[in-house]
Amino acid sequence: MNEKTEVETVEIFIMGKRYEVPKGLTIMKAMEYSGYQYVRGVGCRGGFCGACATIYRLEGDYKLHTDLACQTTVQDGMYLTQLPFTPAGREQYDLEELEVDNNPLLDLYPELARCVSCNTCSKSCPQDLEVMDFVNEAIRGNIKEVAELSFDCIQCGLCAARCPAEIPHHHVAQLARRIYGRYQAPESEHLEKRVKEIANGQFDDELEELVNLPKEELEERYENREIEE
Amino acid sequence: MKEVAYYPGCSLKDTAKGFEDSAIQVSSDLGVRLKEIDRWNCCGTVYSLTDDNLMKQLGPIRNMIRARDEGFDQLYTLCSMCDNTLKRSNYLIQNDDDKRDKINNFMDQENDYSGEIEVKHYLQLLRDELGWERVREQVSNPLEGINVAPYYGCMLTRPKEIGLADPHNPTVFDELIESLGGTPVDFPYESECCGSYNTVDNQEVVLEKTRTITGGATRSGADLIITACPLCQFNLDTRQAELLKATPNHDPVPVIYFTQLMAVAFDRPRVNKFEEHAIDPRKVLKIENKVASKR
Amino acid sequence: MRTGKLKSNEEPKEDPYPESMRESIKKVEQTREERIGKEVDRMNPDEREQVLNKYHPDYREEGMRGLDAGPNQGDQMPLELADLLEAYPAVDPSEVDLTKVDYEVDVLVIGGGGAGTVAALWAIKEGIDPSDILIATKLRHGDANSMMAQGGIQAADREVDSPKAHFLDIVGGGHFANKPELARALAKDAPGILKWHEDLGVMYDKNEDGSMKTLHGGGTSRKRLHSAKDYTGMELMRAIRDEARNQEINVEEFSPAVELLTDSDGTVTGALLYNMETEQYYVVRAKSIVMATGGFGRLHIQEFPTTNHYGATADGLVMSYRAGANLLDMDSVQYHPTGAAFPEQIVGLLVTEKVRGSGAIPVNRDGEAFVFNLEPRDVEAGALIRECYGRDMGVETPTGMKGVWLDTPMIDMIHGEGTFEENLAYIYRLYTRFGIDPTEDPLLVFPTLHYQNGGIEIDDEGRTAVEGLFAGGEVEGGVHGKNRLMGNSLLDYNVFGKRAGISAAKRAKETELGDLTLEHARRYIEELEKAGVDEERRSPMLIPEYRGEEALSRSIDII
Ligand SMILES: Cc1cc2nc3c(=O)[nH]c(=O)nc-3n(C[C@H](O)[C@H](O)[C@H](O)COP(=O)(O)OP(=O)(O)OC[C@H]3O[C@@H](n4cnc5c(N)ncnc54)[C@H](O)[C@@H]3O)c2cc1C
Ligand code: FES
Repeated sequence: MNEKTEVETVEIFIMGKRYEVPKGLTIMKAMEYSGYQYVRGVGCRGGFCGACATIYRLEGDYKLHTDLACQTTVQDGMYLTQLPFTPAGREQYDLEELEVDNNPLLDLYPELARCVSCNTCSKSCPQDLEVMDFVNEAIRGNIKEVAELSFDCIQCGLCAARCPAEIPHHHVAQLARRIYGRYQAPESEHLEKRVKEIANGQFDDELEELVNLPKEELEERYENREIEE
Repeated sequence: MKEVAYYPGCSLKDTAKGFEDSAIQVSSDLGVRLKEIDRWNCCGTVYSLTDDNLMKQLGPIRNMIRARDEGFDQLYTLCSMCDNTLKRSNYLIQNDDDKRDKINNFMDQENDYSGEIEVKHYLQLLRDELGWERVREQVSNPLEGINVAPYYGCMLTRPKEIGLADPHNPTVFDELIESLGGTPVDFPYESECCGSYNTVDNQEVVLEKTRTITGGATRSGADLIITACPLCQFNLDTRQAELLKATPNHDPVPVIYFTQLMAVAFDRPRVNKFEEHAIDPRKVLKIENKVASKR
Repeated sequence: MRTGKLKSNEEPKEDPYPESMRESIKKVEQTREERIGKEVDRMNPDEREQVLNKYHPDYREEGMRGLDAGPNQGDQMPLELADLLEAYPAVDPSEVDLTKVDYEVDVLVIGGGGAGTVAALWAIKEGIDPSDILIATKLRHGDANSMMAQGGIQAADREVDSPKAHFLDIVGGGHFANKPELARALAKDAPGILKWHEDLGVMYDKNEDGSMKTLHGGGTSRKRLHSAKDYTGMELMRAIRDEARNQEINVEEFSPAVELLTDSDGTVTGALLYNMETEQYYVVRAKSIVMATGGFGRLHIQEFPTTNHYGATADGLVMSYRAGANLLDMDSVQYHPTGAAFPEQIVGLLVTEKVRGSGAIPVNRDGEAFVFNLEPRDVEAGALIRECYGRDMGVETPTGMKGVWLDTPMIDMIHGEGTFEENLAYIYRLYTRFGIDPTEDPLLVFPTLHYQNGGIEIDDEGRTAVEGLFAGGEVEGGVHGKNRLMGNSLLDYNVFGKRAGISAAKRAKETELGDLTLEHARRYIEELEKAGVDEERRSPMLIPEYRGEEALSRSIDII
């Protein structure tokens, strides 16, 4: 039927259905190779957006693995499916009105207290974050720790999908990061100063001059500009 | 300075900050550094009695694993609820092979644990390791003439497998109070439950318990009550404020942590955050006008 | 400080690099010590010119053609784009019923990436009720190039810096082809944008005193690159999106716009959306429209791999062009000098310029440095191509791809152990997932299709030539001239997303909803027919075709 090629292949099962694909492809490329055209389940294709959350088992292994389809190589005997969406409640809030001293994390997400520290969240994180640790920091109201521990979260929702306490970890973490950035991170004085200077029109004249400069003169200014070491 | 692994638990990082701060201060006066373990999680708050749900055991056991992996063989607690949960989970894993295997199997990301850590309450450090004499040496503001009711609640002494004192006649608080120069009063409700989590949705129960326990203490002549439990402290302290509104003739009695009492005796009253208490203990402790300590 | 920790992989791994590449790595290791602290000279203007002319893909005539239809007739641009611009509407104008309107809004934003979301937020600040705004987007909200930016964002906020210095860098980097008033807006708004981000709770990398940690980027005269580790784009996008959610802005996901709608005067009055899951269309009537569909990396111009997200297919250019918008600088495409060239699974993905900014330099197969590490992007990319194909000093991978080494182990040697993992967590993760530790081994890189330098012409208020249509972000042109500097496009989507959002809101407050027709599309079809364009060619593309040849060759449509 098919022309035999030299390419080494592996056998994978996409939602239970068998396909043979070249070795060394990512799950995403293997699905495409097999004839699937993505609408859902793909975003950045680079490990940033969390659209391609995938669950798989390997033949003969009881473990349920989780990873990103765009960042994981197919293996022989892989049974896989992608999670197109994770329903996880997100609370509305007004960052300016939050009572940040009263553990707003626990206040908005009381289900945090249901955590039994089973660590399933950390185990399911494709970014290998210590999710359970930041949930515990959230319970204690340590916003900075939550913000730092969760910083690399791509919000794929796999942790939330697996959590027996039904916590929406990625939403809690987003809240923590914004509170930290808004209220707790040290303020940048030079930024404030520059914003005021601009508002006062301090740079208007020199910019106006540059905008109207003939190209040759602009080129000269550019070539001779001072460069910070 | 001697260093011991220390597990704070969530309350001490939040509502019971005065408990932790005073404990760290008096420990350092006693030459002991409480080394908070790097990673820890909630103890689970209440020891799970459901025999077939081992999920609830994972949290407490993971803390022991963390302490062990950081190279310790003992882990000290302050909060009596944490103490109770950790000790009982530890007891389970030490004594039930099947459950131990099951738990280890489930926690396949951690190294196997079979109860190598010894969980101890801070009171055990004072009584068994340092000794009362050492405590006495640090007292620079003896609590002369102050009558203190020792309140153990449910968690410190029960069940007997893990309790740190005889559940029918515990004495560790009495010994501590004496070492600090104060007078322990004999008090009938020392192991009575405070109403615990009823405080969330059944406040009547807690109010009634508060009336009984605090009333019992004042009738026994106590100037204040000491405890090792953040929930007991919260219940007995804040609910008295409500009692006062309903029954103005209620005779209020301050409820503080035993480490706060030590801090007063060690002349370190400022770490206690007494200003956050509903019933202010400063008057009965005679530190009302104290701006700075002698030290 | 404990940060999100990476677990080490316990099993000993086999060498991720094949024998031949490993041998070259040994040479790189031998020269590493002496290269540290030694800078390669920057090129002079003549040299730069030469490298570009001879090696930059934009200068390959076979890759370009002139347009025969629309406002930009005669302008040269990449074949792949020209074919999409000169294509028949994917929706046949006679097949849709425009009398049943599904949404009536003040402001329709097309594209739920950075620019679109920023535009919506500022439209609210300008007085539009969130319920009168609709964001229509192709994938999920935030599945966008904006989410992927690693290196950082420029703003002249330090004492030693000034908007003037920033302006000079922008126009110099752009080969003086920029619209100067756009470059001015970019430089001048930048600090205010960062301040807005801070108010939204964005966590920029800072020193303990609150001052910003900044680095040089290619072509910058000051250390002006602000970052949030190497997840800068993600940190910005997710905070901005979170705010949009708090504001309860309506977002239609998986519903790209496929055509604009106009009234008899050619004013844009709405758009057709297409629900890619149920395959039905929606009619939107709007007082103003902000085009914010981003770039075109997924056109794989000249067969280059790309750093871009799945939805970067030039739809906004196509729709706007048909409606009469003018395009600028479409002959210039940005190839990022350092795309991954190995392993195969990640070919084309970006290795941020921050890696070079932190001290890693490109070296050839003998371990020799051959270019200053922070030339403007086009020059740097040209130099890498020259090294591989002009001088044949590249390293070949098992699949026949060529590349040069980016000597990443230098970073920890210069800044101390742990720097890489802390500041370049994404890159570290990207490679360790495939068994390569960038603190131990160099990374093989080759230029990758990265950014659409040109785009829809706007003025400094974000207005296009078409009444009612505004644009912001990568889809517009003129800001960066012929070459965008790193860190200026995150800035662009904020500055011009904001300006477009405000202008759109202002217009919406002063106008009524208009009539909906597809007249402009019909007119454009006539033009195409006159030009003899192949009838099969349809656009917008919406999603790229990656299905395997074997599968495609047997695909039939019968359900
Ligand atoms: C890997 C990578 C790294 C980068 N690093 C940096 C950096 O360090 N610094 C920097 O300044 N810049 C960087 N950039 C560039 C910068 O991220 C982008 O130029 C910028 O974010 C573009 O923003 P945007 O909102 O215009 O487009 P996008 O963020 O791409 O948003 C466009 C949105 O419109 C959607 N869309 C497309 N077509 C349609 C349609 N027909 N209907 C509805 N919606 C549609 C898309 O799916 C997408 O959601 C990088 C880009 C990439 C890809
Ligand atoms: S597609 Fe974005 S993380 Fe995989």
